[in-house]
Amino acid sequence: MQEVFASLGTGFGVALAPFNIMLVLIGCFAGTLIGALPGIGPINGVAILLPIAYGLGLPPESALILLAGIYYGAEYGGRISSILLNVPGDAGAVMTTLDGNPMAKRGEAGRALSLSAIASFVGGTFAVILMSMFGPALARFAVTFSPSDYVALMVFAFASLASLVGKNPWKTLMGALIGLMLATMGIDGNTGVPRFTFGVPDLLAGIDFLIVVIGLFGMAELFHLVEQQVTGKLQTLPVDSSFVRMADLARTKWTILRASIIGFFIGILPGTGASVASAVAYGAEKRAAGADTSEFGKGDVRGLAAPEAANNAAASGAMVPMLTLGIPGSGTTAILLGALMLFNVQPGPLLFTQHPEIAWGLIASMYVGNVALLIINLPLVGLFARMLTIPQHYLTPLIAILAFIGVYSIVGNPFDLFLIILLGMFGWLLRKMEFPLAPVILGFVLGGLFEDNLRRALSISAGDWGILVESWKSLALYGLAVLAVVLPATLSYLNKRRARDRAPT
Amino acid sequence: MIDRIFAGTLLLITLAYGFIAFTLIKAPFQYDPIGPEGWPQILAIVAVICLIMLMIRPDVDSLDTSRPTWIKLACASAMLFAYAELYEPLGFIIATALFATLMARLLGAAWGRSAAFGITIGVAGYLVCAGLMGLNLPAGPLPKI
Repeated sequence: MQEVFASLGTGFGVALAPFNIMLVLIGCFAGTLIGALPGIGPINGVAILLPIAYGLGLPPESALILLAGIYYGAEYGGRISSILLNVPGDAGAVMTTLDGNPMAKRGEAGRALSLSAIASFVGGTFAVILMSMFGPALARFAVTFSPSDYVALMVFAFASLASLVGKNPWKTLMGALIGLMLATMGIDGNTGVPRFTFGVPDLLAGIDFLIVVIGLFGMAELFHLVEQQVTGKLQTLPVDSSFVRMADLARTKWTILRASIIGFFIGILPGTGASVASAVAYGAEKRAAGADTSEFGKGDVRGLAAPEAANNAAASGAMVPMLTLGIPGSGTTAILLGALMLFNVQPGPLLFTQHPEIAWGLIASMYVGNVALLIINLPLVGLFARMLTIPQHYLTPLIAILAFIGVYSIVGNPFDLFLIILLGMFGWLLRKMEFPLAPVILGFVLGGLFEDNLRRALSISAGDWGILVESWKSLALYGLAVLAVVLPATLSYLNKRRARDRAPT
Repeated sequence: MIDRIFAGTLLLITLAYGFIAFTLIKAPFQYDPIGPEGWPQILAIVAVICLIMLMIRPDVDSLDTSRPTWIKLACASAMLFAYAELYEPLGFIIATALFATLMARLLGAAWGRSAAFGITIGVAGYLVCAGLMGLNLPAGPLPKI
């Protein structure tokens, strides 16, 4: 514990430097704005702004502080469009519409927004506290992982991804495989043999991470927005002067606490993020309410507080495996992990000891950022609400312009501009085919690490595949992987059967 | 149906990928037990299984995109390619102003407002990104800051 406080001190030294405080504020503000805009979620926001942040030439800890601010700021902002428009700003804010929008329709938009801001703040802060306590311990444990244990960890990560994300597990797996296959292009680091480069010199170094991210999450989103485009203004409900009451907080204090815990632990699981967390928290709250559920879905304060606390806790929880294991817990944290690699910082359990200024600086900045978000969000919510009325036909071209600025300013090569457009078309097509995109980026980021560890493990054992199942750690992780696949399938089967039994025949 | 076509196309690409992994990639001598070709081989095999499963059980029948939407998407793509093509020759300000104007118009804004938006975003974007943040953007025929 002592050690944690000392390290947090170092972290605050970084996070409270005036320049970094400014970046936290900018990140949180931009994030809230991005989250509030319907259609553009945290992952798109971080993807579009990553190259620009990289191009600014910031030190790695400052760039990460900025990007993380955009990330959890966007999780915060998602609730604004959920409540006022009944259109979730991102997948994690879907559950917020259920009770948030009815409250706003009742003329209690101010109350809903302020209550959800406080729930978000508690969820976010609670998760950061848990992260500072458990993160270093997990990292210390992970240092003992051998290459074969890492292989098992990756298998677990992809298994839980396949079973929890998307409707069709085969499509999720295929998405991850596309990412893994893309990552094999370029010169093999161990032998110097070029793979899948077709003699093109530009491909020797592999496909640039930035290009993939901005293509799949920036340009693909643009095509999606063009397709879904709604003409005319969306009708926002007005923000009135109602405000959260003490009674609301007293009524929801246990709800918020429960949802924060659920959110944090679901966030830690690889591949599951805010959307799963908020749905589970909402369901748990409904069950916990017992007989008194008539108000749920009609504007119950508990139904609003639970998903908001959970999705913000999950957003921070997803950072835990990224920082401690080097395995991202969600698509957005996969992008943050890739950002670290761009700065030549190797993520993994040694990050806490080798780069304490990055790991702890980031954690400390999240304490600052959560307070900043609460302060920004309470008085300025009217301003953000007005942003919602900006018509889509101005926002959509803006995505392309920002993507082009980012890519061109780093690579300085117009060829890459064509590449991101093509990747954008491919991403749009994948999305139309109901392939989730997050696994693609997760596979792309983890591809090198997965292969390296497998090859290192087999080098140690001189080619004996038995080494993969030798240690108890690997076996436990494979067990968890099987559980992650079997459990959700069994539960949905049982649910279906129960529903069928109940239905009159 | 469209699902099967898509999976089939991916399958062809995967087979080509697998072919390269199984025949063309070789290290001059073996450094580690599975070498540079082993991992792509594993990926190719898993991907083939996965794609066959997707072809057996497809779940998306059609793209469900109407004709006007296709035209709009095609126009948007054409504009993006033109934007990329003209980025360096015309410079950021002019290329962006043109692109933003036409794109906003395509998506339903009036001509006047689109042009005002395009010019503002071109000039302001350049001043903020190239001037204030020092990013490298093409100046084109206009004087550089």
